Amino acid sequence: MSIKHLIFQNLKKNIKNYYLYVFALIFSVSLYFAFVTLQYDPAMNEVEGSVKGAAAIKSASILLVAIVSIFLLYANTIFIKRRSKEIGLFQLIGMTKNRIFRILTIENFMLYFGSLLIGILLGFSVSKLIIMILFKVMQINAIAELHFSTEALAQTLIVFAVIYLLIMFMNYLFIKRQSILALFRIVSSTETRVKKLSIWEIVIGAVGIIMILSGYYISSKLFGGDFTTINELFLAMIFILGSVILGTYLFYKGSISFIFNIIRKKKDGYLTIKEVLSLSSIMFRMKSNALLLTIITTVSALAIGLLSLSYISYYSIEKTAEHTVAGDFSFTNVNDGEKFEKSLAANNISFHERKIRVIQADANLKNILDTNLEELNFDPKKMKLPVISDQAVDTIDVAPGQAVFTDYNNALQKFMSFKASGQFDLIGKSKTIQLTYLGLRNDSVLSLDFTAGGLPVVIVNQTDFERLQKDINPAIQNKSTLFIGIDVKNEDQLEKANQVFNEFKFNGDSARSRLEISNGMKQIMGLTMFIVGFLGLTFLVTSGCILYFKQMGESEEEKPNYSILRKLGFTRSDLLKGISRKQLFSFGIPLVIGLAHSYFAVKSGWFFFGTELWTPMIIVMILYAALYSVFGILSVLYYKKVIRDAL
Amino acid sequence: MTILEATKIYKNYGNKFNKQEVLKGLDLTIDKGEFVSIMGASGSGKTTLLNVLSSIDKVSQGSIKIEGNEITRMKEKQLAEFRKSHLGFIFQEYNLLDTLTVKENILLPLTVTKTPKKTAEQKFAEVAQELGILEVKDKYPNEISGGQKQRTSAARAFIHEPSIIFADEPTGALDSKSASDLLNKLSQLNQKRKATIVMVTHDPVAASFSNRVIFIKDGQIYTQLNKGDQSRQTFFKDIMKTQGVLGGVQYEH
Ligand SMILES: Nc1ncnc2c1ncn2[C@@H]1O[C@H](COP(=O)(O)OP(=O)(O)OP(=O)(O)O)[C@@H](O)[C@H]1O
Ligand SMILES: [Mg+2]
Repeated sequence: MSIKHLIFQNLKKNIKNYYLYVFALIFSVSLYFAFVTLQYDPAMNEVEGSVKGAAAIKSASILLVAIVSIFLLYANTIFIKRRSKEIGLFQLIGMTKNRIFRILTIENFMLYFGSLLIGILLGFSVSKLIIMILFKVMQINAIAELHFSTEALAQTLIVFAVIYLLIMFMNYLFIKRQSILALFRIVSSTETRVKKLSIWEIVIGAVGIIMILSGYYISSKLFGGDFTTINELFLAMIFILGSVILGTYLFYKGSISFIFNIIRKKKDGYLTIKEVLSLSSIMFRMKSNALLLTIITTVSALAIGLLSLSYISYYSIEKTAEHTVAGDFSFTNVNDGEKFEKSLAANNISFHERKIRVIQADANLKNILDTNLEELNFDPKKMKLPVISDQAVDTIDVAPGQAVFTDYNNALQKFMSFKASGQFDLIGKSKTIQLTYLGLRNDSVLSLDFTAGGLPVVIVNQTDFERLQKDINPAIQNKSTLFIGIDVKNEDQLEKANQVFNEFKFNGDSARSRLEISNGMKQIMGLTMFIVGFLGLTFLVTSGCILYFKQMGESEEEKPNYSILRKLGFTRSDLLKGISRKQLFSFGIPLVIGLAHSYFAVKSGWFFFGTELWTPMIIVMILYAALYSVFGILSVLYYKKVIRDAL
Repeated sequence: MTILEATKIYKNYGNKFNKQEVLKGLDLTIDKGEFVSIMGASGSGKTTLLNVLSSIDKVSQGSIKIEGNEITRMKEKQLAEFRKSHLGFIFQEYNLLDTLTVKENILLPLTVTKTPKKTAEQKFAEVAQELGILEVKDKYPNEISGGQKQRTSAARAFIHEPSIIFADEPTGALDSKSASDLLNKLSQLNQKRKATIVMVTHDPVAASFSNRVIFIKDGQIYTQLNKGDQSRQTFFKDIMKTQGVLGGVQYEH
């Protein structure tokens, strides 16, 4: 048997076994190549203007390489361990270690660079699709035109060649360090030593669950007003992070066996086939994979969390823009407003105009403020708020002596929430008006210019408004006290109106266009979402592959068990049912914990990012779970083959 | 009463062009309650015979009836059904699931047949008592000795009171003391419970515990020895003699 023959034989066997590895490699190469192509594409910087698209893509591609190289190196350690028997055999028949290393290197070379080549070709052909996706989420109307970039090609080749060298270096160390005997022993030494549950593990298990739950509990209190200084907030976050991550580790180390053991004890030795294959196997396996599972869970949670948050921002753009600009356009400068209106009329665009007088007044909110945040820049007894009359808002009417608030920023609400009702004062220059607060509305009436970035607008009765107007405090008034809101009557003409608006080149502080703002946000958030999305996908694919490879190894180790069970008279479908359940746990537990982690993370701070929590978060989670399940299903199919061959 | 009847069984390995005949028209009858040993040179087809008799492997030709059921024509599902209610197995290695305790391992066959838990408990106590493994019932296989493992797998083979127990070199990995302990238990169970046992072995001592020894050569039965009323010692000497003849022939081959 010549070396060449040997290599080809191995290669043939390996491709069948590692098709998923090849797939993951091709996937990451093509994604990387597409990213780098984008980065070198001149269109990137032209289109975005202020957004540094190329720079963002570049940092994303660096992160991508980090994820991919960790994956490739880790996958390689799994594979080389599995092949240690074969390597030992070669040594036994008298091959030198160098020769074995050469065989391995050539074999890997073909597999690796074959995939690399396919990946690059694929990457080039999908890069157009990818840039179209990018333009789509950024809502840019541009035709994607891509050129094959030799720089991108060179960079991809270099990066992946370096990773290849790293892999080979690892293999070299592995082979060098092993003696023939050790090589034969490796598979059994990594196998879990099956032992009885000790008290220690029960404690670990309980502590793990408690730590996770307490982390969750603190996270739900994070912005509820219990932590009043920045230092306390910071400490709380560190605590949550540490306790959840450590708790997850302990959970895999002890809690799973602990819980499964309780279930098992109840059965008193009488286990069904499903329980034999799922409970008893997972109990011991999870423990030995605790570190890996913790990493995968934590990073999954991070990925799902970031994806959710960026999607929440993207999803809430319209709402956020609505609170930024009340109306399609808004002005605080009468001249600008008139010029724009004239121009609209000249273009045959019919519109509706709202003019609102806005007074700034200090308010004493001490009695209705439901917070104890100490390090706030505001003095609750003297907070500058915009005040308008209820006549300016069609939908709201308040009696004299009463007031409602509206336009209050989502995130600020969490820090400074108001009581349901109560008394507060508006302080004029000489007099103070006492008012009854009736509650918070969600109407958008004024643009950001008047609300100091998100403070509520006070709506009072016309009589109270007039009283205040006479007693105005000139020191705290804005430059303009007039808000001009312009709504285009016909939606179809909005685009055109916006063009008119842009032609004027107004000063951005006094004239605002909602469309312009939402488009700008779409570009930034779109790019963010695009990058987070693809990085998340890469992580999902690589971590899914790792779990799958682990399952491949387990199935080989458990094959003798399947043959015993089949001899005992269990049918293939009996076994497969048990295995499906095992995989439900093997893949489901990390997924569910990852989802739970990210749920609590997102829940604790989502309001900084947008106005809508559930829809975007659930969409992200369902998508992630669905893609992730594919790997679970693939692993069941692999088991099916192993079970079939077991007898 | 006949419990197993194999007539003209053939077993070939390989394909049309490269055929290896392992069993060549072998006939075999086993009565209920018998303890039969199968001996023969390495590669003579003992394991193959045991596998086809126990429905784990399919014959190329011929018929095998167990308790009147023709098993060569059964489908995979039926076979599994048949195995779980009628057969028990003891093997030399890889015979216990290492993630299950001794008790869980032994109770496995009962969960296949969905025996009520209470009955299962009773049966377990009984068989574990007989085989002396009650004390280790909550241990895992890697925490007990080889002999205990072998007795555990014997207990598993016995617990559902199968019509036939098949054992492939059950004493292969044991020292002579543990081996004879196990064999004593087996023949006790054979006598007390009237369990039929078919055992493949290389060891004449092990074979001497049975009622009948069948020698395999060239894919057919070479000869048979009946214990009858002899003592175990004389039966053992007979077996040794026959094996010597068989071995000599084998070397010329
Ligand atoms: N799955 C198989 N495929 C092809 N040939 C096989 C297979 N199993 C067994 N054989 C061949 O059949 C013959 C008999 O094998 P078998 O395992 O039955 O022998 P044995 O009598 O049990 O030997 P030993 O005492 O060494 O266990 C051998 O020549 C073997 O090469
Ligand atoms: Mg054999």
